Amino acid sequence: MLACGLAIFLLVMALLLAAFYRPANPSVDGRDESGTRVWMWGLGLGFPLVTLAALTGYGLSIGERLLPREAPDLVTVQAEARQWAWTFRYGENRVIATEGVLHIPAGRPVNVEITSTDVIHSFWVPRLAGKLDAIPGHVNVLRIEAARAGTYDGQSAEFSGRGYREHVFTVEAHDAASWATFLKEGTQ
Amino acid sequence: MTDARPSSVSQPRGKALRLHRGLARIWGSDQRFRGWLTTSNNNDIGTLFLIVATSFFVIGGILAMLIRTQLATPDSAFMAPQVYSQIFTMHGTVMMFLFAIPFFEAMSMLLLPGMLGTRDLAFPRLGAYGLWVYIFGGSAVIIAMLMGLAPDGGWFMYPPLSSAAFSPGIGADVWLLGITSIEVSAIATAIEVIVTVLRYRAAGMSLSRMPIFAWYILVVSVMILTAFPPMILGSLLLEVERALNWPFFKVENGGDPLLWQHLFWLFGHPEVYIIFLPAAGVIATILPVMARTNLLGYGWVVAAAVSLAVLSFGLWVHHMFTTGIPHIGLAFFSAASTLVAVPTSVMIFSWIGTLWKGRARMELPMLWIMGFFATFVIGGLTGVMLAVVPFNWQVHDTHFVVAHLHYVLIGGYVFPMVAAIYYFMPLLTGRTRFFKLGEVAFWLVVPSFHITFLSIHMAGLLGQRRRTWTYDADQGWTALNLVASVASFVMAIGFALIILDVAVNAFVAVRGRRNPWGAGTLEWAAAIPSPAYGFASIPIVQGRYPLHDDPDLALHIARGEGYLGDASRNRRETLIVSTARGEPSQVVVLPGNSVLPFLLALVTSTSFLAPLFDAYIVAGLALVGVVALALVWAWGLGARADEGHVDAGHGAKLPLASESPDPPGWWGSVFLLLADGVHFGSLLFGYAFLWTVAPNWPPHSYLQAQLWAVILALTGALALTAGPRLAVRAIATGGAVWPTIALGIVGALALAIAAASVILDRPDPASHAYDATLWLLAGHVGLHTFLSSIMLFYLAARGAAGYASPARIGEAGIVRLWADFTVATGLVALAAAWLPGAFA
Amino acid sequence: MIEILRLSLPITVWLTGFSAVYALQGLSCSRHWPADLEARPVLLAAWAVAFVLQLIALIAVLYAPSPVRFVQTTATALAATALVAAVWTMMPVLAASACL
Ligand code: HEM
Ligand SMILES: [Cu+2]
Ligand SMILES: [Cu+2]
Repeated sequence: MLACGLAIFLLVMALLLAAFYRPANPSVDGRDESGTRVWMWGLGLGFPLVTLAALTGYGLSIGERLLPREAPDLVTVQAEARQWAWTFRYGENRVIATEGVLHIPAGRPVNVEITSTDVIHSFWVPRLAGKLDAIPGHVNVLRIEAARAGTYDGQSAEFSGRGYREHVFTVEAHDAASWATFLKEGTQ
Repeated sequence: MTDARPSSVSQPRGKALRLHRGLARIWGSDQRFRGWLTTSNNNDIGTLFLIVATSFFVIGGILAMLIRTQLATPDSAFMAPQVYSQIFTMHGTVMMFLFAIPFFEAMSMLLLPGMLGTRDLAFPRLGAYGLWVYIFGGSAVIIAMLMGLAPDGGWFMYPPLSSAAFSPGIGADVWLLGITSIEVSAIATAIEVIVTVLRYRAAGMSLSRMPIFAWYILVVSVMILTAFPPMILGSLLLEVERALNWPFFKVENGGDPLLWQHLFWLFGHPEVYIIFLPAAGVIATILPVMARTNLLGYGWVVAAAVSLAVLSFGLWVHHMFTTGIPHIGLAFFSAASTLVAVPTSVMIFSWIGTLWKGRARMELPMLWIMGFFATFVIGGLTGVMLAVVPFNWQVHDTHFVVAHLHYVLIGGYVFPMVAAIYYFMPLLTGRTRFFKLGEVAFWLVVPSFHITFLSIHMAGLLGQRRRTWTYDADQGWTALNLVASVASFVMAIGFALIILDVAVNAFVAVRGRRNPWGAGTLEWAAAIPSPAYGFASIPIVQGRYPLHDDPDLALHIARGEGYLGDASRNRRETLIVSTARGEPSQVVVLPGNSVLPFLLALVTSTSFLAPLFDAYIVAGLALVGVVALALVWAWGLGARADEGHVDAGHGAKLPLASESPDPPGWWGSVFLLLADGVHFGSLLFGYAFLWTVAPNWPPHSYLQAQLWAVILALTGALALTAGPRLAVRAIATGGAVWPTIALGIVGALALAIAAASVILDRPDPASHAYDATLWLLAGHVGLHTFLSSIMLFYLAARGAAGYASPARIGEAGIVRLWADFTVATGLVALAAAWLPGAFA
Repeated sequence: MIEILRLSLPITVWLTGFSAVYALQGLSCSRHWPADLEARPVLLAAWAVAFVLQLIALIAVLYAPSPVRFVQTTATALAATALVAAVWTMMPVLAASACL
């Protein structure tokens, strides 16, 4: 996307500069509109219509693949934001709870049910997925999946007042064994 | 103040000089100091507007420098987080509301009459009113900031963060009330500009011969009328929630914070185009002159501007891609957001094609336009990237977005406006540039702009979140931020140089000649600097570039050879033409200098600002003052006797506007009602939105309609529709007016009582968002029935005082328009209040 | 006034249709939607209606032409733009997942 953008930018700049370094054509009358074929129909309309149609389709098809659909070994966790902390809950009746650290199994799709108890926040773990807002009264579901076990940084991404910068959390992705232990120890 | 003395540019002797003296006396403003408070001349008002808007740009710029100072180094202790949030909120607010919009309004006030070949704007006093409201509201916001009472929730003020619970203190109220008053000013100006472009033009200036800038400003002004009302409604809802606890955004009581986001972005996205399109108009005006040719594809550009304007109202949700809206919803808005790039591309290539068609020269304005291309195209491309949903999910709310929006706003707006200032300077000040600081400034600003904001793009891609007050050294953003900050200081020096350059040149440079660039549009045919009356006679045009068709046009105009080239009637006259074809159709007499606009602005602003200090009584008194002054204002216009057709020159006998069925006031009302209608529509949208998605709905019970109230509403509506119609007929035939007025007022009263029944049934608006909405619906009916009644009374009094006659029937038509609007929206409002109960 | 309406109405029809289809989609995911009613056919039908209205707008512009040539050309271009916009912007009802 960046490369395409750069190419388009360079094309426009080249056309623009060429207008100044081109042998002058003094004969042309100001009322001459013959340029509309190339400039308006071709470059003005045709060119963006084609590229944009491709880009939109591409973006939407990726977006579709990121949605929290049904999956065989899906895990669901709950993330609740408030000024300036995160509570995560797990298991059938949400009996397990952690503060500031979200535990997930690695290699399995996880749905995070995000909400807030005060103002609007946003759940964002850049290496796992895009961001999704935590809005009071609403529950938004974000699909994340950590390929490997390990620690990932997360943060709120919606301005929430004084403590916004420090409104961060971490994600612990466990391998299958330690995930099982986490669930077991948590319930006790 | 506009000079009453003849300008030093050589005027043709004899008739021209006599005409100049006569017109200068009639149109001149009071030369004493208090003339600044009473003038309504577009040159004066425009100049003041321009100076004030530039001052706000300086303030916003200083705030930007504070931001960059804070971010220059990691773990900076320059500002505390509470201060930082006030600073970026105020920076965004000042730049968007106090600089960008007023600045182009100033440009249009200064330039439009000249370009269109008319003598002043349609409602000069309304323009003055808009100016003063803007000055009072803007100053209040700045003073609050200096007192440490600034809002701090970011320029889009999302609740619940901006609600009373999380933002106690008056910061948020300052924002809501201050910004709303500025929006009122913008709406006033927009109406004035629309009516001017549609009706006040040179003879023969059909729509297809209109200068392209006028098209752009027309489109933008209509956008203001349709984009600001949702925002005004949003501000009203939030202010009422903060002050009276009506829970529009409180989830526990059936509100929803997302409602605010919809209302805000319904305004906020079009706002971006409201800012960009005037700049595009400037480019489409200047660039062909710099290329010594005509704009390529004029019709294409007009169509592109109109479609851009309308498409931009279907994009608002792209600012809400991360709020959890279903993917199909996002897909609609992603598709619409990429589509909007197409008309933009049409414009860009029309301009490049124009350069290819002609012989381009690189004067200073053109240099800035090159700066525009190099910047705006990048901003447009990053914008398209942001419209791609998954990409948006990553970079939303990072510094990538900050960089994107500055590429669009500075590249797409500030640079073209600098080009415009330099291009039009000979026209506005009558001087040619002498000191050449402009080139130096260009090379300071544009490269350092790119260094600053390319670094900020990068920082955003690396994860730096916007609105965070500092960062740690180990986050890897230190070098980028330092570079951005240093370059931004260089850019600021460049901007300071421009302001200095323009100021110095305005006062001390050499007198210049008329039309130095060889442009073809009418503004260059007036004497420079433009006298108060603009044109000594209204030009007659045969093409899009009248000065190219007739190089001696200026002379003919000065000699009074156009329309109305005669000062003997001793009043401010200008021509009204038919909308599409530009045929002369009326002569309008504009009002003279008056202090009323200033006073009305004073009481209006008081009514807005008093609630900040809980001075509700003062606010109430001020509202009474608003109504009273508005009546005094209106009463002073019009005439007590018919004059018949007047001689407009060239053998044309034209009716006076006051003796026409569709005077400018009627057109102004139509557009004001458009804004009012959108405001009402936004309220209905909010109601439907809450009903559909807000948590904690339905309320425990729905309102049940009373049969008597329904009948009352229907009969009232009938009477209020019939009354004004019969009044018009009575005036036209010389019949008795009072009974018809009484009928109308009784109708208004009946509607109002029906509305009152709604709130009497639901006595506690703080209990649920549903109840609060019912109160607002009823309030809408109440307010409009009140206005209609006042207008009907006024009409009767005008009739009694001899201000109405079968010819002078325009005012009655205006009252009928308002009454019809009241009836239509009133019935819809009551139906909306009663329907859920009828079906539940 | 009528010339102004010629220029602005067709594309306003697009805005109305677009907003209406979006609103319908919102409704289809809300508590007011009957559980046994499939949303996609309804949305497709709404899209079709919006398209037909847009077509009617274009035909109206063509068959009740403005006496002013410039207005007529521009109005036609805008009505055609609106038709393209109606197809393009509501295309997602074909495939995108609803309510996820
Ligand atoms: C003069 C050079 C300018 C510089 C160096 C600058 C710099 C910045 C920076 C660094 C931020 C981000 C603050 C943060 O999120 O932490 C910002 C925000 C913003 N700027 Fe500028 N800016 C400039 C001019 C402008 C202009 C001309 C406009 C509009 C016409 C503008 C509109 C905004 C807006 C709307 C925001 C968002 C504020 C918010 O997040 O609430 N800026 N600016
Ligand atoms: Cu937008
Ligand atoms: Cu953008």
